Amino acid sequence: MSSISTINLKDLFLNGIIKENTIFKLALSLCPSIAVTNNLKNGIFMGLAVLFVQTMVNITISLMRKVIQPKVRLPIFMLVISGWVTITQMLMAAFVPDVYAKVGLYIALIVAFASILARAEMFASKNSIIPSMVDGLGMGAGFLFALTVISFFRELVGKGTLTVPTGLSTQHVFTFINTKPVLIMVLPAGGFLAVGILMAFFNWIDVRYMKKAAHASH
Amino acid sequence: MTGKDIFKITLNLVIVYLIGGFILAFVYWNASPKIFRNNEKAEQNALKLLIPGAEFKQLGDWTIHDKHAKYFIAKKGGETIGYVIQSFGKGYSSYINTFIAVDKDFKIQKINILAHGETPGLGDEIETDVFKDQFKGKDIDHLKVLKTETTEYIQALSGATISTRAVSEDAVKNGVAFLIKTIREGGDKDVQHQHN
Repeated sequence: MSSISTINLKDLFLNGIIKENTIFKLALSLCPSIAVTNNLKNGIFMGLAVLFVQTMVNITISLMRKVIQPKVRLPIFMLVISGWVTITQMLMAAFVPDVYAKVGLYIALIVAFASILARAEMFASKNSIIPSMVDGLGMGAGFLFALTVISFFRELVGKGTLTVPTGLSTQHVFTFINTKPVLIMVLPAGGFLAVGILMAFFNWIDVRYMKKAAHASH
Repeated sequence: MTGKDIFKITLNLVIVYLIGGFILAFVYWNASPKIFRNNEKAEQNALKLLIPGAEFKQLGDWTIHDKHAKYFIAKKGGETIGYVIQSFGKGYSSYINTFIAVDKDFKIQKINILAHGETPGLGDEIETDVFKDQFKGKDIDHLKVLKTETTEYIQALSGATISTRAVSEDAVKNGVAFLIKTIREGGDKDVQHQHN
């Protein structure tokens, strides 16, 4: 891992969204990206929950990194992840029950996310608190972006609607087409199709435009 | 790895887990009474939507598909106007958590789907009012699911016959049957109250 002082925090943040996007580039945590993205609202709430937990886990692991024995780091990472997930769930259920009723389902799923464990292992356990926090924010924002795009695509093509959260406990369904055009897109199999198509699309953009821009700037 | 290393590693893991456990216990200790009150409030709200203006009192618990469910008596001005029972139906990919409101003669007034994990786009149409309104006024003998157009019985959702059956022939039918058996044939209702 390169030394922290040379890492630009803005680049570190953007790294999680573009260069190392959890879903489109690293192809990690594909289960949630398929399971909960059948409407836009689900995708957005899941993404926000991941953003929060990823950042908190990165901060905690970074603070603990000097006291963790390397040989038992994985069980300790798992404790931190499941601990944060459980605490978040309990506090939300106690103090914001309306919000919890809508997003509680998604938060419990986060325990099993490979991407969170991967960032704890690859980044937070080797870096100090500020870069770890920025890395968590970037990775979480990248995840939110990916889930939003996937769920937007799947709901629009599969159901002809878009379910937009207008508040934490309210939503608005926009109907564009009054039938179910390509129903398979909202079924689990369609999740694979959607992720595959979008992954190809973003890689194409990357090759077509990003590489060229990088080339021109040199 | 020497014995000393093993000891150090074990100690490290034990201490971290103990601290984690204490933090979780502390948060739970503070949050759980509030969570309990919130759940009770949410349940009361769900009941009020089923029979508006009624007062509810839990009569007891029952078990379906190994799940615990509750049933309530609904009163208005001291007079019994109906019952609400929670029930579960075994659907295509989940157990469907259903609340059923019946009147004094065990005719269904309204049903509500609280939670389920049926297929989006197909089975999740059990949540729609068009589907739920089919149950209004039906008694236990008219819960059969038909694939043809019907108003006498329950019409299956296209592409989601299993989810329809789970609600109608499983959750609702068993729930109402239990209520009839317990309340009508169970005799003295005041004995039931004491089970709380």
